[in-house]
Amino acid sequence: MRKPLFALALLLGLGSQPLSAAQADIVLTIPEIATAQYYRPYVAVWVEDAQQQPVKLIALWRKEPDWLKDIRRFWRKIGRSDTALVDAMTGATRTPGQYRLSWDGTDDQGQALAPGAYTLYVEASREQGGRSLQKIDFQLNGQPQQLNAAAAEELGPLTLTLK
Amino acid sequence: MKNLLTAAMLALFSQASLAHTLWVMPSHFVLSGEDTWISVDVSAANMTFVADKGVSPDNLSLVFPDGSRHKFSQSYQGKRKSQADHQLVQEGTYLIENGGPARYFTMFEVNGERKRIMADKRAAAKELPAGATKVTTSRGQSKALAVVTVKAPNRTALDPKGDGFELNFITHPADYVAEDKIEWQLLMDGKPAAGVKVELSQQDELYRNAAGRQMLETDAAGKLAFTPTQAGRYLIEASYQSAEKTELADQSRATLTLTFEVGLP
Repeated sequence: MRKPLFALALLLGLGSQPLSAAQADIVLTIPEIATAQYYRPYVAVWVEDAQQQPVKLIALWRKEPDWLKDIRRFWRKIGRSDTALVDAMTGATRTPGQYRLSWDGTDDQGQALAPGAYTLYVEASREQGGRSLQKIDFQLNGQPQQLNAAAAEELGPLTLTLK
Repeated sequence: MKNLLTAAMLALFSQASLAHTLWVMPSHFVLSGEDTWISVDVSAANMTFVADKGVSPDNLSLVFPDGSRHKFSQSYQGKRKSQADHQLVQEGTYLIENGGPARYFTMFEVNGERKRIMADKRAAAKELPAGATKVTTSRGQSKALAVVTVKAPNRTALDPKGDGFELNFITHPADYVAEDKIEWQLLMDGKPAAGVKVELSQQDELYRNAAGRQMLETDAAGKLAFTPTQAGRYLIEASYQSAEKTELADQSRATLTLTFEVGLP
């Protein structure tokens, strides 16, 4: 599947890009939490480079701006400075369940990321609940990989599959 | 207000100072909403963030992200703490400051009685009664600071002015995170203040047997560093003193506190 894409990229004169974009699947889980007053968590999914700089916001599920700051790391790394990106990526909050996200290995500007070390972050914050941060370090090197992070209070097991 | 300030000054200068530590505590350090509100507590206390004495909110001000200084829109002086509110309509970093510029006062003795006038050396020379002895003029300053950021941080409100005892925020307060180094610099009239003692404390002293305070000191460049291991609310109290004589004073003392929040990584 990558080959024709690569050939197409060459045809379009994009051959100077470092690599054809990787394909990745991210499976995250919002756990069922038994509580008198359950509110859906605010969730952010993003990638940082080896210098801990954000390079790609993959998903943001949220409602009111007032509570965006409670997705602590997301807010500090991305949310507070990039209103346009936040608005563009905003989606509705989700009910408990398993969610599959796909990422094409590009950054926020749509450019393929250079090979190297990156970290996937999933952060969830729930009103009248807790906050969890999951991270998976990975290498973008063209090798297929499957990596996992353990379940946390507000997030079930996380899987990153690089194809 | 003047009496209270004078009292605070005297306490600051008294030999065995029983002065409480003055701090400001904002309801939030980081905000993400539009036209959001901030509430600030002001108290003087011995235990960090356990309110003890409500001080006048008259000296409380807010420097906006554009650098303009404003009074809080409403305030109330309570017995244990005072409170002030303001709506934050600009995006960026706000500096909350309780206190003001340096003040001068002159102590003297006449007919065996200790007296004081609020005057620097030059002014005091004209005002002192005949026969005044043991004349000492002091410069004093006391302020409590906290920093609040709405959306993207900026530095306009934080820039040192080169006047009096100031904190230079090397690390932006919106970026204070557990396990990351925080750096500050202390300045006196724009010049690095070396060898200044700084006491660092953390919230919840009431619920620990050991308060766990740390004594730090600024280096030759006036710099100070601290790497918190835990997220939470902290206080630093810096005490400056100098016996260097100037045209306006024989000695100088100043204290400055900063209440800050360390976020989760």
